Parts: sequence; C-alpha cells; structure tokens
Amino acid sequence: MTDTQLSEIPALGRLYAGALGSAAKSRLSPSKTTGALPADRHVVRGASVDLARLTEFQHLVLHSATDYLPTGYVHTFAFPVAMSLMAREDFPLPLLGMVHLRNEVQHLRPIHYGEPLTVTAWAENLGGHRAGTQVELVAEVTVEADGGPETVWRGRSTYLAKGVFLPKIDRPEKSAVRAEFVPPLPTALWRLGSDAGRSYARVSGDFNPIHLSRLSAKALGMKQSLAHGMYLASRVVADAVQSHEGPFRWSIDFESPVFLPATVAVAITDDNEASGGWAGATFTGWNPRSHRRHFTGSVTPLDSAAGSSGFSAAAQA
Amino acid sequence: MAAQPESARATPTNNVAGSSVRKAVVIGGNRIPFARSGGKYTYSSNQDMLTAALDGLIARFGLQGERIGEVAGGAVLKHSRDFNLTREAVLGSALSPETPAYDVQQACATGLETVVGLANKIKLGQLESAIAGGVDSASDAPIAVSEGLRRALLDLSRARTTKQKLAAVAKIRPKDLSPNAPSTGEPRTGLSMGEHQALTTAQWKITREAQDELAFNSHRNMAAAYDRGFFDDLVTPYRGLARDANLRPDTTMEKLAKLKPAFGKSLGDAATMTAGNSTPLTDGASVVLLGSEDYAREHDLPMLANIVDAEAGAVDFVHGKDGLLMAPAFAVPRLLARHNLTFDDFDFFEIHEAFAGTVLSTLAAWEDEEFCRTRLGLEAPLGSIDRSKLNVNGSSLAAGHPFAATGGRIVASLAKMLHEKGSGRGLISICAAGGQGLVAILEAR
Repeated sequence: MTDTQLSEIPALGRLYAGALGSAAKSRLSPSKTTGALPADRHVVRGASVDLARLTEFQHLVLHSATDYLPTGYVHTFAFPVAMSLMAREDFPLPLLGMVHLRNEVQHLRPIHYGEPLTVTAWAENLGGHRAGTQVELVAEVTVEADGGPETVWRGRSTYLAKGVFLPKIDRPEKSAVRAEFVPPLPTALWRLGSDAGRSYARVSGDFNPIHLSRLSAKALGMKQSLAHGMYLASRVVADAVQSHEGPFRWSIDFESPVFLPATVAVAITDDNEASGGWAGATFTGWNPRSHRRHFTGSVTPLDSAAGSSGFSAAAQA
Repeated sequence: MAAQPESARATPTNNVAGSSVRKAVVIGGNRIPFARSGGKYTYSSNQDMLTAALDGLIARFGLQGERIGEVAGGAVLKHSRDFNLTREAVLGSALSPETPAYDVQQACATGLETVVGLANKIKLGQLESAIAGGVDSASDAPIAVSEGLRRALLDLSRARTTKQKLAAVAKIRPKDLSPNAPSTGEPRTGLSMGEHQALTTAQWKITREAQDELAFNSHRNMAAAYDRGFFDDLVTPYRGLARDANLRPDTTMEKLAKLKPAFGKSLGDAATMTAGNSTPLTDGASVVLLGSEDYAREHDLPMLANIVDAEAGAVDFVHGKDGLLMAPAFAVPRLLARHNLTFDDFDFFEIHEAFAGTVLSTLAAWEDEEFCRTRLGLEAPLGSIDRSKLNVNGSSLAAGHPFAATGGRIVASLAKMLHEKGSGRGLISICAAGGQGLVAILEAR
C-alpha cells in the first residue's frame, strides 16, 4: 500500500458537500469506479487536538474534562481521514446514506491532548451484506516515540451501503433469525433532546444532514433526524471505563437507529473476576417502549503487551 | 451588658490531640496549578478540576481502585446541580466507586475544614484513610436567574390551567430577565471582601510599601520553591499549565508600586490595596491524602505531619466591631492556649494571603498591647512572628486563591516542609467570608 499525505485533518463539511455533488453527478453519468477499494492509505502527520472542542466533547459524553482523550474522541479526531477515502471519486460506494454498522477499537494507552497525533486510514474487506455492500475503514493513531512510531489507538468501523450491490461480490445467505431481545433491567435512561444530533455535530464536526434536523434528515429519506452512532458509543464506553485505567478494547454493534428526540434505556454490566478485579463490561441500549434494541457491545481490559498484535491478525482472518 | 473579652484561655485542654485519641497523619497532597479566572481552565467545571486533582493524587500514591474511607470536598461558588460535587468527582476518578464522599462549605475555610473534619474521624477510629479537598472556579461560576423570574417560573411549573399559566408569565417584568452573577460581596453589608479589608487595612495603618513587600516576597518565595522542585510531588499539570498562572517570578517592588489602588478608593490617600497586593479571582483544585498511622504503614506510604488540632473563630464584623477577615486573630490565641504554645514554638507560619493587608493587620493585632489585652484577654501581646518563618514557599498572593482549594494547598505544602525539616510545628491561619476563620496546628514526623 502506498501512502497519500494530507496536509491536515480534512473538514467533514467539505467532504459532505463534495459527496452531495458527486451523488448528483453520478445520477447523470454512471460511476467510473472499478469496483475495487482505493489501494492507498491516507495519512495526516502530527495533527493536534483543539482543547476547547475536546472539553466540549468530554462534557457532552459525561466524561470528566481530564487531559486525556476519551476513546470516542479519538475516533472523532481520526474519522475525517477515513472519510476522505470514502469521499474519493474512485471509492466504489456512495458516501451519503452509508449506514454505520459496527466499531471495534483498541485503546492502547492514555493519550494526552498535547501529543501530536499521526492518523493513517485505509479501507479494506469490501464484502457482501444481505442488504447491500459493506466495507471496513481502519484508522490507526500513532505517536512519534524514540523507538519509532507507537500505535496508541486503532479503530475499525464497518459501514453498509444499503441497496448497493457490486459485481463479483456475493451476498451472504440471510443469517439465522435473531433471538428475540428481552431487555435487561436498565442501569440508566438517557433522555436525548431533538438537539442531540446538532450538539454532537458541533463537537465532532460530523454535520451529516441526517443528524441535524427533521427536514434535513427527510431530504435523505429518514423519517426523523437520528442520534450519531458515535455519540451513543462514546457515551456508553466513557461510562463503562470510567473508573478503570489501563489499555482496553471495545466494540459496538448498531442495530436500529435512535430517532430524536428519544429516551434510550441502557444497561452496563460489569464483569468481575473471581478475585474481584474488573474484567470488562457488556452494554446494551434499547428503546424502553418498543423494546427495539439500538446497540450492544463490550469493553475488555487489555494486557499492555497483548494490544498491538491481536487486532491486525483478526483483521486478516 | 459589659463586653466580655473573648478569653484566650477559655477552652479546656483535656485530651485533644492527647493520648486518648490516635494520630491523623498527612500522607501527601496534590493540586492542579491554579489558573487566573478566564485563563486555561475557563471551560473546566469544578467537577472536572476536582477530578483532575484526585486523579493526580491517585496516580502518585497508587490508589487506583482503592476504597478510601471517605472523601470530603467542596466549592464556594457552586452550581445547584453540583449538590453531590465531591461524590461525582469520586465516581469520575480512578478510586473505587464504593468510596463515600460528602460536600462541605465554609467559604475560604472549606478546604481546611475538610482536613480537620476528616482528621478528627481518623483520630476517633471512624476512618483509616481519607481524602480532603476543595475546588473553585471563578470562570465557570453559576449564574442564577433573578428572583422575580425564578418565582414566576416556579409558579408556571405549578400552574394547571391556561389562565394560571398566563398569570404566572404575566408577572415577569423586563428587569427580571437580567441574570444574577455571584459576587464576593457580603450579603449583610453589600461591601466586597476587598472593600471590607481596605477598612481593616486602614484601621491598622498598614502601609502600601509593607503590603507590596509581602506580595513581592510571596512571588519570590514561590518562584524559588518551584525552581528547586519543591512542588514536583505536590502539583500535577492540567490543561497546559505546569505552574500557577498568577505567579510573577520577575515582579519587582517598583512594578508593584506603580499599580493603582483597587479597593478602598474612597479612603483617598489611605487607599493602599492594589491588584498586586490582593489575590485575583482564580480557578483550581487541591486534595490531601490523610490516614491513620496504621494505614500509612500497611500501605507503605509516607507520613509527613500530624494534624494536631484546629480552632474556628468568627467576628462580629457587620457593624464594624472587627474587620471582616480578622477572625483568625482570635482563633489562634485560643488554639495556642489550649496547647500551652507560643509563637516561639513554631517553625513555619502559613497565613493565607487573601490580601497582603489581611496578613499584616493580623500580625499587627497580635503585636498590639491594647488589642491583646482588651480583645483577647491577654496580659501581654501575643507577640511578633519571625518573618523568615512566614509563608516561606509563597502563598495566595503568588499562587492565587481558588477559595475552597486554598486549604488543601497549604496543608500539603506545610506538611511537606515540616517533613523535610524533620521536626517542629507549623501554624495555619485562614480567614473566610462571613467574618469567619479557621486555624490549625501541624507537627512534623
């Protein structure tokens, strides 16, 4: 893979605007993509965190405004680099309307806001999904250290282009019917106002119109605006790792959108070792009225040493 | 009824800090550097700063996941949503979530009062370990709606019919829409703390030069303490600050002399209090780890100093009988008498520098034969304090004064100074709004 250097973290607004433009264009002339993912990686070197925005982010996801980055914030920071790949003309799937299915993250050590961060992003694992085509975007955050770059955070986000079927990609068989969801006792109720999407857009820079207002969401075929998946993920993971230190991994699967305004029932269940030590937590979020599940996921502490290898291996499998 | 002098020998001396209770020790402390209001911590809340101070302490003493006996903290400028400020900070920290906590508020004495209260619980055997602390933000201060708007909104929330709702809204007047910001004014006199102190400073005839010199020494001493690494294990950087933002290592008497009076301007030539010899509004947090001797030994933690005893005081300042910030002048002699100590028995004096004038008025009172006789009931003046023992590593004029965080700053610093010296005693004196004061004795280990 070759690296394409970007001079700075791209502005998401411009990427969305460009995506709107190319969406319009592709209606007129058929796509010029080869159907394959871009072979290069996008890299931004030595990017710095905006402290005022970080503090706002921390307050929004109920994380104390410490000098260390909430894991969801790192995603938000790195995400535009991944998105710049998806916004390229040769990217085989349309950026707009892409559905966020899953995140898997390794947070390998505390990251101080003052550290210059290098973000490398690439796309891989283009694959079939019963409802369209899915793709994985990987973002890796490194810090320059004496012994070369040290990976401090790695995230893999899975997106689905609904209704897009590319040649030569098989659709998987319809998966077995999911067991019926029986909600556990909630440990929290989140009350999200109709402005929850706008608030998160402000701190994350993710001004995807589906999150901003009912009108802008309707323009993209949604019945109402919806909460950012990364807001839900950032908040639930910040809560789950709150009083625990050390490296950890977490993942979240999004099952149904949270339409705003909303009350989300959340259950975070700690796993404790026999010795009483913390072995991680599982979490679920659902609509307390309809009992539709919005998301499920887990957090697991990592041995400092184990972190760096496991993820790439899993990625290749 | 004739005024009774507040006798310095009034309180009996049984058992306090004696052999019937065990010792409470200072193990260590931590604070974030203090920032000037509107500076680096502008967008950090009290809870953020208290959590940051706690996390630094936890990291320093390996308390991750530990269940501490109790944590007490507080803030002077507090949002109503922060009713459980300290407990929330504990939940956001790396301490065990099973650590209980409570809030304390005694104006600028808050931080020291948390130390005293928890030390007493340790002495009585109720606690093995405790964390005392305090935080204040003048930047992220609560803004309240006006009383008129507040009443109308409460009526509106109780209204059931449209008519009742309209009636509630109709009560709102345009003037009700301007919010109320907190002030450092005394509710009963309407005077700010600085205006009150300006009267006391003039009463005790404290010169401008003496105040500037105290401020100069505070900056110089604190800068020197930073330079020799004294604060390395007392301060954790936060939000890009590694030293107190108010500290001016290069200030000079000439620079201080150029500043215009900020308080007591109506006094004309007797106006001596400037921005240089008064503490600015400040943001910051501090915490102190306390424990029984057993706790410290079992956890292989240092023991810097014992919390020996404390005494609170208050003065009748409302009609000017005493200056607003003069309560320590009364509390210190009572505390000394209880322990049969004199100023000569102390190696360090930590007198909180709310204003240079406060420190100097208090010292003047203790040297004044008439004040000591008529007001303290002493046969001779309490005496002078050796200036070379006063605020030797700087105090609030240099560091700044986030109200509730000052007590923790002083206790941790003094405990370390005493431990470094290896013997002796230190006296802490903190004045507070409402005409109050809290003073304490620490002894070296």
